Amino acid sequence: MSNAQLEIQLIASIVAIACAIPGTFLVLRKMAMISDAISHSILPGIVIGFFITQDLNSPLLILLAALTGIITVVLVEYIQKTGLVKEDTAIGLVFPTLFSAGVILIAKNANDVHLDVDAVLLGELAFAPFDRMVISGADVGPKSLWIIGSILIITIALLFTFFKELKVSTFDVGLAASLGFSPAVIHYGLMTVSSITTVGAFDAVGAILVVALMIAPPATAYLLTTNLKKMLLYSVGFGVFSAISGYWLAHGLDASISGSITTMLGIIFLLVYLFAPNKGVIAVLYREKQQRTEVLLLTFLLHLKNHTDERERHVNHLNEHINWQKVRSKTVLDLALKNNMIKFNKNIVSLTEKGDAFTSQAIDYIITNEDAQIEDMKDDFFLFRG
Amino acid sequence: MIDNKNKATPIAVKVDDLTVAYNYKPVLWDIDLEIPEGVLMAIVGPNGAGKSTLIKSILGILKPIAGSVSIYGKPYDKQRKLVAYVPQKGSVDWDFPTTALDVVMMGTYGNLGWIKRPGQKQKKEALEALEKVGMLPFKNRQISQLSGGQQQRIFLARALVQNASIYFMDEPFQGVDATTEIAIINILKALRKAGKTVIVVHHDLQTVPEYFDWVTFLNVKKIATGPVKDIFNDDYLTKTYGINYKVSLQK
Repeated sequence: MSNAQLEIQLIASIVAIACAIPGTFLVLRKMAMISDAISHSILPGIVIGFFITQDLNSPLLILLAALTGIITVVLVEYIQKTGLVKEDTAIGLVFPTLFSAGVILIAKNANDVHLDVDAVLLGELAFAPFDRMVISGADVGPKSLWIIGSILIITIALLFTFFKELKVSTFDVGLAASLGFSPAVIHYGLMTVSSITTVGAFDAVGAILVVALMIAPPATAYLLTTNLKKMLLYSVGFGVFSAISGYWLAHGLDASISGSITTMLGIIFLLVYLFAPNKGVIAVLYREKQQRTEVLLLTFLLHLKNHTDERERHVNHLNEHINWQKVRSKTVLDLALKNNMIKFNKNIVSLTEKGDAFTSQAIDYIITNEDAQIEDMKDDFFLFRG
Repeated sequence: MIDNKNKATPIAVKVDDLTVAYNYKPVLWDIDLEIPEGVLMAIVGPNGAGKSTLIKSILGILKPIAGSVSIYGKPYDKQRKLVAYVPQKGSVDWDFPTTALDVVMMGTYGNLGWIKRPGQKQKKEALEALEKVGMLPFKNRQISQLSGGQQQRIFLARALVQNASIYFMDEPFQGVDATTEIAIINILKALRKAGKTVIVVHHDLQTVPEYFDWVTFLNVKKIATGPVKDIFNDDYLTKTYGINYKVSLQK
């Protein structure tokens, strides 16, 4: 592995971490699309900043561009507050306008400099190592590594300092306000960090990948955990993993690095979406099937309990009256037998003591309707453990 | 006047000429309200009467266009630590990745202030509050895995942990089962016994005399406020709900 390769992976990983942190809060605040808006509408900020500073890597340019990001958020909120359009429409109105203003500014005034729309949208990670940072004659590494590295350090410091405030204002705005943690301050703080991260990152990886890195890792992590700190950690992990595996995918396919990283993000999300232990599609389907059988079992047991009359409990009679097909009846009967809920006596089905107790408790549950109870009940009777 | 009888007790919450409007339409109109210390008060009124708005304006969550609010004679900003708030259950995202204990811990954040982090002391307080509302066994449960009544208890525990003097609650009985309703009202009564002031936005007129000792009728304007036994009668109910209030009572 050459030095340049290592540097590219390092830059990509740091960008991934710097994006995953604000991204987690954006996803939880249901504001994922705002990152898309910011990533596009910072373009005029960059162009104007470039006219003033004449230097694509000046900190002033980053600040000006971040300011455009904030203006985007303010505009979106303003339009939304009029009540004439919904939030997503407001976002869709604001950022293309600002973005196209940037495109026109480039076309009119900056045709002769290295600032083109392709670079803004897609970035070019492969060139990042060629733009060196030189301090008093010594080469200290790629410029973008320094920029995004500083942004990451600030982001992490802010995260550790204001974690509690971020959490409470994301979960419950009303409580945060009544406790004196101004939700507006935290909201615009988060927007500022997101904007600065976007500006710092897009030079290396482009606007589209910034959005992907902000949204996909937290969305993936959200499916796997119910703990905010773990969600942050998992997001960072998924981001870094996609960055590095994406780089090697691009290496193998001789394709765009940003494109490959985004593809990896998509693949990982898809895998987790399908196979996540609790919220994954397959787990949900399995649980629904299990629940259906459970309900059938309950119905069956209740029927047995309701009818003391032997005729009503004859196997053939059950088939006719409950009106279930053979397979279904067999599943339910097997399950009941396996759990020692019923016994057979010359084709007459009756409840065992355990089945009787279980059914009484189940009726109790249905009448009082206390959600938490049925889970404990299943444990009590070792239901579905073979 | 009713107020005169209570001259001796200090006024916990005082609202002066409060007006809140969305666009041109006033939601609250020129409200004057004094809530004496140590009462368990219901705010009742029809839908859209501005009950939640009143609480939110007192707590500084909404900005009124006119009027002022004082808590024990000082502005709310200075008295934050004396006040706890239980928002409507539907106002937050229960799929948020956090546990019951963690939500209750959030109640301690106000006393901690900015930056400082909760430690063992705050955790202990949170666990005690969970025990008071009977939710200790669920402390590590993810909040979306709790029933509506349990979620409401968690919110109540979060307010208890703030150890405030005044408690504001926005419809704590909405969507909870009968057992939880009784559990909650018992906790509220215990708070009053401890000398706290409890202010509850309430929907169910039938339970007002049983649960509360003080009541405020509100319908954009304040209709009346005072002890339940003195003013909870047909006269004021009609003034608040209109002539058909008995229909809403049956609902």
